[in-house]
Amino acid sequence: MADETRSIKQHLTRRRFLAGSTAAAAAALTGTAPRPLRAAETVDATADTVILLWMAGGMAQTETFDPKRYTPFEPGLESRRVLSTFPSIDTAIDNIKLSSGLERIASVMDRATLIRSYQAGDLGRILHARHQYHWHTGYAPPLTVAAPHIGSWIARTLGPNNADVPAFIDIGQNLEIGAESDGLKAFHTAGFLGTEHGPFLISDPRDAAAAMRPAGGITSDRFRRRYENYQALLEASPIGREGSDFQRESWMRSVDNAHRLMMSPAAKAFDLSLESRESLEGYGESKFGLGCLLARRLTEVGARFIEVTTEYIPFRFWDTHENGHTRMARLKELIDRPVARLVLDLEERGLLDRTLIVIATEFGRDMITEGRPGKPVTDPIKQPEIMGELKHYGMHRHFTGAGSVVLFGGGVKGGHLYGETADERPCEIVRDPVTIEDLHATIYQAMGISPDHGYEVEQRPFYVTRDGKGKPIQEVFG
Amino acid sequence: MKRISYHRTASAPVKIALRYIGLGSWIGAHLLGQPVSYSHDVHPILAQRCLSCHTGSSAQGGLSFESGEALLRGGVSGPAIVPGASAESLLVQRVRGALSPRMPFGGEPLSAGQIAVIETWIEQGAHWGSRSVEPDLTSVPLQLSRPPVPDLDLLLSSHPIDRFVSAYWTAKTITPGHGVVPDAAFARRTYLDLWGFVPSPSQLADFESDERSDKRTRLIDRLLANDRHYADHWISFWNDLLRNDEGVIYHGQRSSISTWLLDSLRNNRSYDKMVRALLNPVDEDDPEGFLMGVTWRGTINASQRPPIQAAQNSAQVFLGINLKCASCHDSFINQWKLADSYGLASLFSDAPLELVRCDTELGTMAKPAFLYDELGVAPTNASRRDRQEFAARVFTSPENGRFARTMVNRYWGRLLGRALVEPVDEMDRTAWSPDLLEWLAAEFVTNGYDLKWLLKTIMTSKTYQLASVDEMDQADGYVFRGPRPRRLTAEQFADSVSAITGEWPVLSGNAPGQALYSREWRQKSSPLTRALGRPIRDQVYTTRNQKATTLQALEMVNGRTLTRMLERAASRQVGTFREGPRPDFDSGVVTGNPARDSRSNGEFDIDVSGADRLWLIVTNEGSYDPSRVFAVLSRANFTGRHGDVRLLDLSAEVRSWSERATVEVDADSVAVTPPVEFEIDLAGRELERFRSFVGVSQESRKSDINPRVRFFVFTEEPDRRRLVAPTNDPPLVAPAAADGPGTLVANLYLYGVAREATPDELRAAKAMLAEGESPAGLDPRSVEDLLWGVFMSPDFQFIR
Repeated sequence: MADETRSIKQHLTRRRFLAGSTAAAAAALTGTAPRPLRAAETVDATADTVILLWMAGGMAQTETFDPKRYTPFEPGLESRRVLSTFPSIDTAIDNIKLSSGLERIASVMDRATLIRSYQAGDLGRILHARHQYHWHTGYAPPLTVAAPHIGSWIARTLGPNNADVPAFIDIGQNLEIGAESDGLKAFHTAGFLGTEHGPFLISDPRDAAAAMRPAGGITSDRFRRRYENYQALLEASPIGREGSDFQRESWMRSVDNAHRLMMSPAAKAFDLSLESRESLEGYGESKFGLGCLLARRLTEVGARFIEVTTEYIPFRFWDTHENGHTRMARLKELIDRPVARLVLDLEERGLLDRTLIVIATEFGRDMITEGRPGKPVTDPIKQPEIMGELKHYGMHRHFTGAGSVVLFGGGVKGGHLYGETADERPCEIVRDPVTIEDLHATIYQAMGISPDHGYEVEQRPFYVTRDGKGKPIQEVFG
Repeated sequence: MKRISYHRTASAPVKIALRYIGLGSWIGAHLLGQPVSYSHDVHPILAQRCLSCHTGSSAQGGLSFESGEALLRGGVSGPAIVPGASAESLLVQRVRGALSPRMPFGGEPLSAGQIAVIETWIEQGAHWGSRSVEPDLTSVPLQLSRPPVPDLDLLLSSHPIDRFVSAYWTAKTITPGHGVVPDAAFARRTYLDLWGFVPSPSQLADFESDERSDKRTRLIDRLLANDRHYADHWISFWNDLLRNDEGVIYHGQRSSISTWLLDSLRNNRSYDKMVRALLNPVDEDDPEGFLMGVTWRGTINASQRPPIQAAQNSAQVFLGINLKCASCHDSFINQWKLADSYGLASLFSDAPLELVRCDTELGTMAKPAFLYDELGVAPTNASRRDRQEFAARVFTSPENGRFARTMVNRYWGRLLGRALVEPVDEMDRTAWSPDLLEWLAAEFVTNGYDLKWLLKTIMTSKTYQLASVDEMDQADGYVFRGPRPRRLTAEQFADSVSAITGEWPVLSGNAPGQALYSREWRQKSSPLTRALGRPIRDQVYTTRNQKATTLQALEMVNGRTLTRMLERAASRQVGTFREGPRPDFDSGVVTGNPARDSRSNGEFDIDVSGADRLWLIVTNEGSYDPSRVFAVLSRANFTGRHGDVRLLDLSAEVRSWSERATVEVDADSVAVTPPVEFEIDLAGRELERFRSFVGVSQESRKSDINPRVRFFVFTEEPDRRRLVAPTNDPPLVAPAAADGPGTLVANLYLYGVAREATPDELRAAKAMLAEGESPAGLDPRSVEDLLWGVFMSPDFQFIR
């Protein structure tokens, strides 16, 4: 009996200790979590939130943000003569032209820095999931350590803007897409940083409200009652009365947090039915459009990192293996309205200054070159030398020699152009190439994170950019 | 950092701080005043600022920053550092600019903070490991010693483990505070550790009423004797170690070893035999997947080629040696050199390997060698088979004490929540009881590397059976006072819920009617199991993260996986569950066109006489873009007394299971976008047979969307969530439905937390249950909520 009394006292003491402990002490007690490296210097943030608009599948740069000479289709046209299948249009900025079909985005380019010199990773024979892994983590698999998604790096390092909103929210990607599912799952994680920093996944924005509501047929009344009853069960449990220990406390706190998140006023941000008809139409009502609208709502309540994807499904969306021209027209329609709307809505709400929007894709496309110029890779997509049908007309091959990235808000310059590609095939980068390390370093700098910030895992340092060597593009900051 | 306006929505500051804690340890744990470590604090600075010039044979000034030795040896100007004397260290003088030229040469000077870190590190003795107290790396001999069992019995036990713990406690002047756990808690622990799920109320009762003094040993023996349950539990541990996952490939190389692994566990193949087969697969059934590693399509970094992966993985898993750093350059954290990693990798390579340092080819070829020369010299001019045979021999040699030590340490960690040596992959560190580790490892060898012997030996000790103590490692080191409470693993959680409710997952195949009940490990990972810590096994995982997180709790609070499982489970508990009807026709997965491919399509001709309604269901089975797939029923006709009727002439209710359904018909066929369901009214028509050819449209076949569909016909209303009923017995016999609230609650507590519900709990639980029209007289939704409540309780979630 004496033993039992003493152990209860110990429990009580620890309980009191926990209640009074600081966040740092609680974090330290959890033991095995990777420790941040101390050597990194801090930088001033110009943004509090990142919205990554992901053009999954490889967006053809010459059909969107880096148009070249336009050659209309006619049967018998030589493939090698075609650089763009659309004419160029003017934008709000004199020296920046875009491809037609992006008129609305063109009108807000005065808020954007356009990078035309993104140099995708050189990973040999193309595998979309692998290039996407590389873009999202900065590292190419296979790896000895599971690399964290950029959203997880940011969530881990900065935490949430608002404790009632998950720090990292990922919108629009279904992870069960057949053969490449495993490749997607491999980078939709926090890697070695641990699951608490992983993405909160909303595979369809139309179901976003459900993500914050009870699943199945459970009504909100029943849900609330279930939680109250759960607490009553714990209260009735003998251990519940005797006090507790660290692990138990930490588990119950997680359950409480989950309920708090779902019941908090911020959870309403997930509910798109609260938007007006007009607002839904303003975003185009496609899955991607609604994802952008959801991103705006989540930014308003304080999400830290939001990714909205057009969704990767092999051979769909930007993965244009054939019929590229026709599909490209539809794809531009898909993004033009919601992207411009998102920029303007955030601006109107005074949030664009502190929100960095990034439009990006795993690599560009071309009609002739598969891989990068001078370094052909095997198994190029079939493209006839002479085009007979309209379906041959388009950028069908994967091009890692150049790609475009657009940045809005979050402290970057408006109406700024960075980097350049040649006007003749292979249209490679001729000025200021930007690697994934540098692009990430730029995003991290906007968020106040140094490119050599890192964590110790298995005794080795692991940095937010490879070897800590990413160099932020200082010129893009205003 | 500037805060934006919406922060006003948050509550008072104190509350915010507490909430942040709750959301996880995002606040950087900068622990002030702790010793400066090399890898943690100093290396990042040197790597960033110095290494680009001072590395390799062309290092500037002959000074290489690649290893501790190299820094001490220094360059043309002498040693770079003098441990304990920062002011006298050339490195400090150069970066301060006290001595010309200032370093980094021609670059920005280091910041004051960075210089301070380097100075402090040198002042503290310039230790090379990541932690302040460094083990002497040469002090752990390769050979096992066999320390005598101490003659101390603080635990009143003659078990050698307890004697060693007694000696440890005596030396530390610790008095044991807790006794062994009661029978029920012991049984729960033992079932979870050997079979991976909780004991049933009757198993508990049998055990508790057993009056024999050796009943705990008997229980361990009995559970170990069940090869099936034992293998189904322990395979997850090995899958994590050997990074084995079914069907997870990245268009590169990978090969499952599940069949071999399961067979090894079921037959209790000894640990050394297992490793010999892994390192040198010769027989047809041997596991080739381990040496093959995991690759993705495209070019692979030199340090991740399969032989290098094999070296990294075998050293980590079987020897507790980290070669990951030394696969790119000489290691900063231990004694291993690039040449050592390549030497080991060469044992698993067909062709000679050229050394590559950080992506630079060095022009030197690796010499095949094992990490420890004293265990043997690798054959030269030999075949890969010979080299692998050598590897298998030296890894598993009884002279190689690391081999046994590493695995007994992993098992100890798994069973007691904290290993003898931590981290478990750094076996150069000192165990909290080195004698205990040595004894256990030596006995493991003597007992033929028998893994069941190892489990039994640890679990029969009073040490394993002690009440758990929830203490974290403290800064000044770990002290063993008892096992730590453990979270259930993802598999233990799912299998325990299944055991209690009878609701097991089902593994469906591509062939018609192929569906089998399974344990959780056979399933692909789900959002639930990933949230609960089941890793994506691209890397070796030697521990599971036990941390409770908000995202994990969210998955259990409103995730679909658990909700659906509990919904079915509740209907079983109240007695309304009914296995869905078998389909009258199941095509299996079809990919061919009904008119053209006789092999990859389907056809049916079924009896529908007596059926008033008919359900025709077409599902999508992994086509990339189901909205572009057309599933075709060709010549779909009924025959009956009053003549033939075409399918498309009958009235049917069409229900799409996705956003939209497209149905196209022509004279001969019906084409639909899956998933879709037709409910067809046959009443009064006196039809006798229904026949059709089924497959996908030729248009879908020619596309790149990999069309895969499946057709079902039912004459009874199907269970839409489980169209194919399992054909085997579930892993355990399903418990009977409850006959009322009293038995339901009593059973649930006994099964879930291995004790009776207290009167208060009984009251609280019964208050949750509502009456309803079911054999148990209960509303299944209220039962579902109660199940959830108990499964979410810490008593269930932890092994205590």
